[in-house]
Amino acid sequence: MSEKDKQFYELLAAWEETYKKGQLTLWIFLALKDGKKYVDEIKAFVEDASNQSMTCEEQSLYRNLRKYQHIGVVDYERGKGNKGPERKYFFLTALGRELLDHFVSRNINLFFNQKVKDLLKTEEPL
Amino acid sequence: MKLITHHLVKFGLVLVALTLAFRAGLSAMLAAHQFSLTWALSTLYGVAVFMSGWIFGKRDKVYFPVYDIGFRFHLATYIIFMLIAEVWHLAGFQSQYENMNSVHITGLSWGAGLLLHYVFYRIAGRDSLKGLKRSDIFE
Repeated sequence: MSEKDKQFYELLAAWEETYKKGQLTLWIFLALKDGKKYVDEIKAFVEDASNQSMTCEEQSLYRNLRKYQHIGVVDYERGKGNKGPERKYFFLTALGRELLDHFVSRNINLFFNQKVKDLLKTEEPL
Repeated sequence: MKLITHHLVKFGLVLVALTLAFRAGLSAMLAAHQFSLTWALSTLYGVAVFMSGWIFGKRDKVYFPVYDIGFRFHLATYIIFMLIAEVWHLAGFQSQYENMNSVHITGLSWGAGLLLHYVFYRIAGRDSLKGLKRSDIFE
């Protein structure tokens, strides 16, 4: 890899690092909008749906879910595990759904207007 | 909100053990006229309590980041230390060089510091939502 390419990918990594900060909540909420899930399923959903660009540790997911439950946007119910102990199946509360809808309409949907969509069309990557 | 977390309880248990050991050591040293050694014991006790608070406080924040600027751990330390000191004297375990007045003076002066900490805790609370720092809620 040339020096120029190396610098380019370093810049890309630095930008992505900053860009991904704050995205975990959105991905967790999307996972739960998709349906009730236990932690392993949330992790798998986030990694699959983001094309592996987002990774999350179980501990980090539990920590976030505890906070979301505390503020009333997520709750859980106990369900049967796979031959093991009962699992916690998390879901979005009404407040959580409303919060997600508002967040998406204010911050995500703007990427879908035609002008921005045209601008987002990529040229040939390096 | 759940203010008494399991890490705070564990810290409390460690603190009870440390404080009992400190009081026993202090009374024994004073009774044996080892006055200069009490400084070393007090320093050791202070460092051990601080380290315990630091370790359990960090774990507590990782588990559930209550935005209390350390007030719960400070309050727990005050209550446990003062309670054990009072009981120690009421039970007559103290040496002839210790008296209840010094315990009460410690309680009052430390209590003033604790009150000040409480004021800062309340001020910091203005930047929180349901006890969590606004910037800590979403990641």
